[in-house]
Amino acid sequence: MSSLSKLRVRLRVNGEEHEMLVPVEKTLLEVLREDMGLTGTKHGCELGECGACAVLVDGKPVLSCLALPVELEGHEIMTVEGLAAAGRMHPLQEAFADLGAAQCGYCTPGFLLAAKSLLEQSSDPTRDEIKDALAGNLCRCTGYIKIYEAVELAARRMRSGSETAPEQAVLYGR
Amino acid sequence: MRKPYFLLKTPPTTPEPAEKLAPWAETTVVGKPLPRVDAYERVSGSAVYALDLFLPDMLYAAILRCPHAHAIVKKVDTAAATKMPGVRAVLTDSDTEARIPWYFTEKGPTSRLFDPHCRYEGEEIAAVAAETPHQAADALRAIVVEYEELPFVVDLDSALKPGAPLIHEGGNQVEGTLVYERGDIAKGFADAEAIVERTFRTSCEIHTPMEVHGSVAKWDGNRLTVWDTTQGVFQVQQSLADALRLPLSNVRVIGQYMGGGFGSKLEISKHTVIAAILARKTARPVKLFISREESFLCVGNRPANTMSLKAGVRKDGTLTAMHLINRGAVGAYPGWAGVGSQVADLYTCAHVRVEETCGHINAGQERAFRAPGFPQCSWALEQVMDELAAAIGLDPVEFRLTSIPVVSQRQGGKPYTSTGLRQCLVEGARAFGWDAARGGHRRNGPWLRGAGVAACQWGWPGGPPSTVIVRYFADGSVSLNMGASDIGTGTKTIMAMVVAEELGVALDRIQIEHADTGTTQYATPSGGSKTVPSDSPAVRAAAVAVKRKLLAMGAEQLEAAEDEVVLKAGEILVAGSPDKKVRLAELEGLMNQQVVIGVGHREQNPLDKVTKPFGAQFAEVEVNERTGEVRILRLLGAHDSGRVMNRLTYQNQVFGGMTMGIGFGMTERRVLDRQTGKMVNSNWHDYKIPTAMDVPADLTCVPIDVPDNEFNSTGTKGLGEPATIPTAAAIANAVYAATGIRVTDAPINPTQLASLLADQRKRG
Amino acid sequence: MMGSFSYVRAGSVKQAVAALAHDGARLHAGGTDLLGCLRDRVFDAGSVVSISGIEELGGIAALSGGSVRIGALATLAEIASHPLIRERYPVLAEAAASAASPQLRNQGTIGGNLCQRPRCWYFRGDFICTRKGGSLCYAFDGENRYHCIFGGDGCYIVHPSDAAPALVALDAQVSIAGPGGSRTIAVEDLHILPKQDIRRETSLEAGEIVTEIVVPPPRAGLRSTYRKVRERGSWDFALVSVAIAAVVAAGKVSAARVVLGGVAPKPWRSIAAEAALIGHAIDESAAMRAAAGAVEGAQPLAQNAYKVPLLRGALEEAVMSLARP
Repeated sequence: MSSLSKLRVRLRVNGEEHEMLVPVEKTLLEVLREDMGLTGTKHGCELGECGACAVLVDGKPVLSCLALPVELEGHEIMTVEGLAAAGRMHPLQEAFADLGAAQCGYCTPGFLLAAKSLLEQSSDPTRDEIKDALAGNLCRCTGYIKIYEAVELAARRMRSGSETAPEQAVLYGR
Repeated sequence: MRKPYFLLKTPPTTPEPAEKLAPWAETTVVGKPLPRVDAYERVSGSAVYALDLFLPDMLYAAILRCPHAHAIVKKVDTAAATKMPGVRAVLTDSDTEARIPWYFTEKGPTSRLFDPHCRYEGEEIAAVAAETPHQAADALRAIVVEYEELPFVVDLDSALKPGAPLIHEGGNQVEGTLVYERGDIAKGFADAEAIVERTFRTSCEIHTPMEVHGSVAKWDGNRLTVWDTTQGVFQVQQSLADALRLPLSNVRVIGQYMGGGFGSKLEISKHTVIAAILARKTARPVKLFISREESFLCVGNRPANTMSLKAGVRKDGTLTAMHLINRGAVGAYPGWAGVGSQVADLYTCAHVRVEETCGHINAGQERAFRAPGFPQCSWALEQVMDELAAAIGLDPVEFRLTSIPVVSQRQGGKPYTSTGLRQCLVEGARAFGWDAARGGHRRNGPWLRGAGVAACQWGWPGGPPSTVIVRYFADGSVSLNMGASDIGTGTKTIMAMVVAEELGVALDRIQIEHADTGTTQYATPSGGSKTVPSDSPAVRAAAVAVKRKLLAMGAEQLEAAEDEVVLKAGEILVAGSPDKKVRLAELEGLMNQQVVIGVGHREQNPLDKVTKPFGAQFAEVEVNERTGEVRILRLLGAHDSGRVMNRLTYQNQVFGGMTMGIGFGMTERRVLDRQTGKMVNSNWHDYKIPTAMDVPADLTCVPIDVPDNEFNSTGTKGLGEPATIPTAAAIANAVYAATGIRVTDAPINPTQLASLLADQRKRG
Repeated sequence: MMGSFSYVRAGSVKQAVAALAHDGARLHAGGTDLLGCLRDRVFDAGSVVSISGIEELGGIAALSGGSVRIGALATLAEIASHPLIRERYPVLAEAAASAASPQLRNQGTIGGNLCQRPRCWYFRGDFICTRKGGSLCYAFDGENRYHCIFGGDGCYIVHPSDAAPALVALDAQVSIAGPGGSRTIAVEDLHILPKQDIRRETSLEAGEIVTEIVVPPPRAGLRSTYRKVRERGSWDFALVSVAIAAVVAAGKVSAARVVLGGVAPKPWRSIAAEAALIGHAIDESAAMRAAAGAVEGAQPLAQNAYKVPLLRGALEEAVMSLARP
């Protein structure tokens, strides 16, 4: 039975405090999407198998389908909606768009957040480090390659602080 | 229920364009590697998928499914569920409005929406609508069902034996055996200097797009609106209208952003009708999405096949005969699990016989899955080609090059509009470094290295009907109105590029309305790798129609003849008179009308020719001789899909297709429990689709960019499906090259190879 | 979707133990296994008792004397990346890094990893099997390619943990708090076989929780490694795995613990493999003998005979990887 009693939960999401009453058995995924209207976080499997629902908690990717909101009080939660700042897309978002790393786009929010966490630890990750960091996110469309290339392009742009154009080799394949 | 267009006997048509458009001589937009027109939405979290819709006052629905592989529902007690908090409606077979026929053959329906005879685990028994998803789930658990369990059968060999549990009256075999024959295989085999014969098996594969399936339904009086996760809104509209006995005009189906389909969203599923009925019953909007687990059971699969293939060859490489015997399980309801088309058509061979038998098992119905039948056929055919090459001492690429057809042998010897197979093999091999990769066995500790190749063709070319409207507004911006869905492949982007090409409008000045039966015109579902070849010519025709009208207005205003004026960079110019020109923004006719409308239709396909996309893929792998682990080091895909419209979306399709091929060949298989008939791996952990760690870093593609101008006005053929056809076979051939072990059963993985390698060691 | 439960946030181990005394109480640490089981209705919870806020249960630190203490709440990601673990106990760092997926390693704790429920698809699925109180182990005559080749008896699960074989190889100790006070046992004794109790995977009594793990100081010459074979490169449990901790002195193995994963309902120590190594140099022939010893007595089911050659191959590779320090 779903509970009739609710818990008062204070969550900090994308820099803003939210206070709400939610049944304790609702996952963070359900609360983000249904109670807060943040539908950028995607529902894939509800079982921790696909990474589509990944959000950042204190900068680290976690699966919102396997997290109770009440457990995350006092932590900083970031969803894909929090990535763009001051009306500008995050370099990762720009690179994903430029390179076609988002095909159907359904897995994209989870990948973007996992990649953001990686780039915060390592500004110039190797291909293997990128694969490792993204190994918990399933994608059924891209074959992952464009996603790696986009993370590399974003890292390059972030390091140089400029709009590096995609390399021809990246755009055209070899 | 109406037949889907692709099952109609006469090819559909839309009106022929007044003029046959000449192929583009050169292009300024088409062919460029342009990012998607909707990329921002897809990376920002702002793209609204159907599951993201929350309508005011909306209810949430869920479906109770049969937990048994085969059972009769004796009684459904919904009394407790009906009284539960938040429950607004419960729907079962006792509701007359739910008595809707379902699963059709030529003879009529074989089942209904909540049929008490449940023929597979996952069949629909009842549905609930409640105020919250949790309440709906609770109510389902409160429904008490009494079942009479029946004997079941979940493997085809058993299902086709005498005395097997009957899934349908009249036996478990589907419509007899389909036989295709040309020449005389006995003669062909007698002429052969080497013969290979082997039996191959593939596993049942599940589509599992990232986005699960579902619908949101809402009524306004007797008008129904459904937001759906579908590859074809018009297909769903027709099915809903038939099921609910409504005029087409009363049913509006809207496609949202889509999280992939791969065929599993090509046709309507029961949940969509259930959502509509519950919405009518409650007079509230209803959202009904199935769970990930349900999506493994009841929205289709790629059937498992057992294929015995015998082929003969002469030492000069001439294929003398091929004989394929295929058996495939379609699941509990009508379907087809044939695979034979490539055996009959990919290579030149005078004597061919294909026998295909399909049968029912107690499992979910098959559904078109990215190149239905073709990857299975490749698994057998391309491995046999590899063996034949070895038998006559020819290189596998060279061998294939000896048998490239220029006509479709299957379709009466009609010539192909274009055949890129040779380029795919030659240019692919060159880019891959094929000769070096094949040069001798290489060893790296326990890891053995080998390379393999496989080729393919794909069956559906696309064609009419398609109707597209382009509107040119007074400020020079454009609306593109098309019925086709963009299921994630980049359809919107490609079509906008066609408009930009013809009208010289920047992509960001083109707005796209699509996939909405209320506002766009009929298009076939986005499937079969035919959206671009089917709809882009209609888009071009519509854009050209706009251009003609603008030119006519310009000619009138400039007092010139219509054939003297041209459109260039936003201006209409009179040839030879540099002073006589007018900017489109100053075109009086346009100012007066405020809008110019062009309607475009898809022209008919050439009647005397056949069109097919071709491809070849190359794989290099390492196999650990101790453990049977396989590392795919690199994969290369060379595909002929006619004109390459956008290099980026081309790469997307090829990389994604090859990765799905890795899944088919290496990791994916549905497992049905023999004791209960239930699927034991209906989740993304136990059903293993490839992760980032399973895809080689060295994944490349070689576009064979040859416009097929005889086929249609944009020179395009399909790509999405061919890209997944030969991958698994290329990997299997590479595994053979590395180990000398011919893996006949897909998927290849350590559970098979560890034993096969141990056997090989024992044999010495 | 999960059913409802009440939620208790424990401020101390004592509070947690008290709260767990209630019927239907379930322990929540990282939540990954618990919430998955609740969502799949493998079992229900009357109440969820969260220990995630108990600070003393976290952390990884060296103790005086050279041992390393790993708090029960240390995540797999912390263990995989911690310099102390990576330097001293590669087998544990490698095992932790090979588990699940990056996100799950950020959430999942070592305590939860040791106490996770089996991944048998019948146990997790819609089947009332022996482990759930039913009368049939569906795996025995069913789809058993991922099941055990050792130690099965009425239930044929494999223990899913990667970290557990590594900890057993390192001879780590685990501290347990419960209604009767605290106790410390070898990790080797934490997990039990179906014949001991078919409903549980550990020797934890009702209301007991894992509080910390202590790994003894590495002996001079300790070499260790974890070798895992799986079907998929990420988010996949072991088909077979091998954890080895061997002490090499003067070119010969003076002590060794060889623990196998993916082959038995608990981390499976192979005394025969250890015996084949001790007293010998690490070379191909020792590896072959150890591998042959490891598979002695294996009793494959209908679909998992491949685990025998696979285990041999993995063990040979693991041993050979220790040939150099």
